[in-house]
Amino acid sequence: MSIPIALERDDSVAEAAKARRRKQLSGWFYLLCVAIAMLSVVVLVVLLVSISVQGSSSLSGDLLTNSHSELQPEQAGMWSAILGTLFICGVCALAALPLGIGTAVFLEEFKPQRPELRWLRRVIPLGERNWEHICTLLYKGTRWMHGFVQLNISNLAGVPSIVYGLLGLSLFVYMFNAFGQITVNESAGWEWGGVQHYYQVLSLERGQVVLIPQGERTETTLTVDEPMMALLPSGEEVELALWTPGTPKPKSKELRQRTVRAGAKGGRYSRKDWYYFRLPFGRSFLAAGLTLALVILPVVIIASQEALRSVPPSMREASLGLGATTWQTTRNVCLPAAIPGIMTGAILSMGRAIGEAAPILVILGAAIAKNSGPKHLMDDAVTMPVLIYNWAGRQQEVYQELAAAAIIVLLVTLLLINSLAIYLRHRLSQN
Amino acid sequence: MSQPAALTNRRFKSTDRAVLAERAVVSVLASCALATVLITAGIILMLVTQSWHFFESEYVSPGEFFSGTQWTALQAKEIEDARFGIWPLLSGTLRVTVIAMLIALPLGLVTAIYLSEFASKRVRSILKPTLEIIAGIPTVVLGYFAILVISPGLQFFSGGAFDTFNATSAGIAVGILCLPMVCSLSEDALQAVPRSLREGAYGLGCTPFETAVKVVVPAALSGIISAFLLAFSRAIGETMVVALAAGTRATATLDPRDQSQTMTGFIVEMIKSENEFGTVQYYSLYGVAMTLFVITFGMTVVGQIVRRRYRESYQ
Repeated sequence: MSIPIALERDDSVAEAAKARRRKQLSGWFYLLCVAIAMLSVVVLVVLLVSISVQGSSSLSGDLLTNSHSELQPEQAGMWSAILGTLFICGVCALAALPLGIGTAVFLEEFKPQRPELRWLRRVIPLGERNWEHICTLLYKGTRWMHGFVQLNISNLAGVPSIVYGLLGLSLFVYMFNAFGQITVNESAGWEWGGVQHYYQVLSLERGQVVLIPQGERTETTLTVDEPMMALLPSGEEVELALWTPGTPKPKSKELRQRTVRAGAKGGRYSRKDWYYFRLPFGRSFLAAGLTLALVILPVVIIASQEALRSVPPSMREASLGLGATTWQTTRNVCLPAAIPGIMTGAILSMGRAIGEAAPILVILGAAIAKNSGPKHLMDDAVTMPVLIYNWAGRQQEVYQELAAAAIIVLLVTLLLINSLAIYLRHRLSQN
Repeated sequence: MSQPAALTNRRFKSTDRAVLAERAVVSVLASCALATVLITAGIILMLVTQSWHFFESEYVSPGEFFSGTQWTALQAKEIEDARFGIWPLLSGTLRVTVIAMLIALPLGLVTAIYLSEFASKRVRSILKPTLEIIAGIPTVVLGYFAILVISPGLQFFSGGAFDTFNATSAGIAVGILCLPMVCSLSEDALQAVPRSLREGAYGLGCTPFETAVKVVVPAALSGIISAFLLAFSRAIGETMVVALAAGTRATATLDPRDQSQTMTGFIVEMIKSENEFGTVQYYSLYGVAMTLFVITFGMTVVGQIVRRRYRESYQ
């Protein structure tokens, strides 16, 4: 039996129409895909063009050599911010890379095997079957730990960076108040060298001071009422002379330099060497760098793990087959083969660290008025993203332009770093 | 018979010293891994102990915190007048996040489909680096972009209906930020779908659209959903864009044209303010941070469960 011819014709017409519609739909979808995919290119171009237009007028030598200025915004610059970023990212790299690569090696190369307990087996006689049982339990335990660490790392990667900032604030800045309650404007905690505490007293020579070594740390001021030993700013040790108001002042300059008015008061002054170290770290660039290290640690670990995973197992097996231990295999075979990938991941994560502002804002605060890079280990710093955040949040047009110019500098830095990553990947993977 | 050079030059053999060295190295590496666990423990410890100071304060009640619709921690002159209800901050965060997701999820997924199914090699070579550059742009730059371009643009097109600082412009900027992430994660999931499925679909007479939408996307759904959840938690935790572009007034409305302070935005505002260590306002920081952490952590965990449980594996 066959379908009537009229029905069949209608059917084929309907089928053809349906097929055409489906094809049309597919075509439209393809166009939509192209349009949407190109949208991201458009966004990037708009972003780069608008920022270049806004910032080009402020892009000058002053921007690179000067520091932030409230009074003369036209001459404000970002030199201290560049230095600060450099220092903080250096600390961050020194802390995060060894830790991250170590963790990745542990997770990828030292997967749990049946624990070797031959030594314990000889010492503690428990019977073969009991030992078998204990070994199985231990194996399961270590495997569970491995999985737990892995899960933990993927969770850490999703924690907002500002929460890391708060962790750094509690951990590095205040050390959970383990060194006494933190009070504002007071350097609490333990100091380990690199610092001398003085009282600073005005001498009779105009604009000159003498430094009197501080005895008791709790005394905030000192009243000079008897001759004592003091230091001139040049470092020379001298005996102080007192001058009572009403009597004639000493004539010679040398004497005036080491003479103070009787009853003069001196405030505290600390001279810090570059290796000045104290606990807790306070709002220092060291604390900021370590906090950033926490932020990028999961990124470094995951990138290094991928790099190690891409080393072919045959290479590993060949080394193990020659009788090398796992660590020898890792050091001589896996790590050299994975280095391009690890390096790329490390550089990309450093790029992320350079652009990160939120944790640094929490650790160092939003202050940007600083003329130089960090002078000692516990000094604070300004970074480029924080400077940009501060400038961009201001109403004045001139700061808006400065922010755009600073963004150009930041983006160029990032571009250079990323091209370094691409170059290294290319170079190392060829060898 | 001579040995291969590799064997004579290097001592590959396991000696007692090598075994000892191995144990030492393993313990060092294990302590590195332990450090990551300690970081999580540190975060939880810090949030719990510090927000404990907040919740035990006489000016704060947990019930009000979770249900109150006023947040005036920084605006109130006296601590007695300050209201600590999380809803304005939460709704601000959600407003920004929803707008961001409306942009990032569809655009990211469609771009991923295009890259994985249709794109020629030349288009890929333009599109992939573009997305990588967008992914590498610091968030503070996108925040500035929101102030410089997006917000004036919105005001221009709407005839001034938007505030200078508003949820929409911040949301759009956050969406741009999340787009590369959604795109690359979804593309990975789409790439993992085997060719045979696509060929089967084409063999049955499907159009490219039908193959992509009815076969490939459902097959990669678990990966795509976990990418969406990751983007969601990233958008919730995003800080610098909202600190710059979303405004500083905590409002509990649904109006996307209004200012909206987010949880992260409040944390930044609090850090910038003059409130000293130890005040209730200061500790409110940790109450907010705790809420933020719980939400993002929950999203990540759900994402992992989705990926693990609903993953379809093909040989």
